[in-house]
Amino acid sequence: MRELTDQIRQEIKDMIFDYYAEECEVDRDEITMDTNPQEDLGSDSLMFVELIEMTADKYGLDIKLQSIGKYMLKSPMDTMSSVVDMFCKIYQYGNDIVNQ
Amino acid sequence: MLKRAFLFNGIGSKPEKLLINLPPMLMEKYESYLDDAFSRLGLNKDIEKNSAYNGRVAEWVISLICDRVVFEYYIEQGIVPDIGAGYSSGIVSISACFGSVSHEFAHDIIMMNRSTMKCLEQNNMKLDMGVIIGMSYEEASEYLSRRFSPDELIVGSGNSSFHVMISGRADKIEEALGYALEGGALKAFSFGTGVAYHHPVMEAYTKEYNDFCTSIAYSDPVYPMISGFDCRMITTGDEVMRENVINCYTPIRWDLTLKELERLGVTEFYDVSANGAVKKFSRVARGKCRMYSLEDVLA
Repeated sequence: MRELTDQIRQEIKDMIFDYYAEECEVDRDEITMDTNPQEDLGSDSLMFVELIEMTADKYGLDIKLQSIGKYMLKSPMDTMSSVVDMFCKIYQYGNDIVNQ
Repeated sequence: MLKRAFLFNGIGSKPEKLLINLPPMLMEKYESYLDDAFSRLGLNKDIEKNSAYNGRVAEWVISLICDRVVFEYYIEQGIVPDIGAGYSSGIVSISACFGSVSHEFAHDIIMMNRSTMKCLEQNNMKLDMGVIIGMSYEEASEYLSRRFSPDELIVGSGNSSFHVMISGRADKIEEALGYALEGGALKAFSFGTGVAYHHPVMEAYTKEYNDFCTSIAYSDPVYPMISGFDCRMITTGDEVMRENVINCYTPIRWDLTLKELERLGVTEFYDVSANGAVKKFSRVARGKCRMYSLEDVLA
C-alpha cells in the first residue's frame, strides 16, 4: 500500500477539480466537495475514464478499470468528495481497491 | 509515408449535441446542405414531425451532413488526409467525402436503413445494441461468452482498451448490461435502436440495403482508406463498395484499425465528427500520436 500524504491528497483533489472545471466548462470555484459530477457538471463516464488514465500516468499506476468498476458498485460516485476519496484509494491500493 | 488520418464517426450522436459545436460560419453551410438534402429526401427539419423510421434516418443524415461540413472545413484549413477510416456508418460518410460516391447517394444509403428496420419488424426480430465502458474487446468477449452464445449477442465493435459495443437480441443485450456491471464495467447502456448492426444476424435483413449499395459504380477514393473490419487498405471503388455492403452485419475492430494506422506511420488523427465523438472512445499511443477534434482545430 502506498502512503497517502496530505500533500498527495491535495494534489489529487486539485487535479480532479481542474479537470472537471475544464472539461465541463465551469468555473473551478463553483465546484465544491458536494457537487454531483454527473448531475451538476454534466460529466460522463468517458471523462471519468480519461481522469483515471491521467491519474495512472501521473503516479505510474497499473490499474484495471474493472477493479474500479467493482468498487463503484459498492460506492457510487455521486459527489466530488466520493470521487476524490476513490482516486486517493486508487493511489493507495491500486487494483486492490476492490477489497476496500 | 502516411502521417495524417481522418476518422469518420458512425450514427449515435443526437443532432443537438452535434450542432452545438458548429460555429456560425459552419452552421450556415450546414443549414444550406440540410435544406437541400431534406427537401430532396422528403424529410421534415422538425425531426419529431417525421414518421418513426424517417425520424431516425433523419438524425443519421444530419450526422453525415455535419461530417461533410467538418471535413470541408479541415480541407479549407489546409489539413489534408493521407488516409481515412470510417466507423460503422462513418463508412458511408467517408465514401462521399473521399469522392467514391456523391453526397446524395450517401444520404440515399442512409435512407435505405428504413427498409432494414421494416424488414426486422415484419419478422418480429427484437434486436438492440449497447455500450460497455471499462472493458476491452478481449475482456468483454471472454466475459460475455461465459453466459451468452454468439447467436444471442457478440461484441459488435472493439473500440478501445476501455470501450466496446455489443450487438444482438434485445433481451440478451439488456441482460448483458447488468452482467457487465457485475463484472466491473464502469457503465453499460443500450441504444434502443431496434437493430443489431455489426451482428451477422443482420445479413438476412439488409438485402434491399445491400442491393442499393451495389446499384451504382463507385469511383476510386481520392485518398486511401483502411477497413475497420479487417485493416485492409482500400484504394479502389469496388473495395469501397464492398465496405458499404458488409457494413451492417460485420463486426468492427476499431481498436486494431487505429493500431494499424499507427504502424503505417500515422501520428495525427483528425476526428471528423462535429462533437468529437470518435476522440472520446478511441485511443492512440500517448506521446507518439495525437488526436484532434473540431474543437481543437477551431481553437
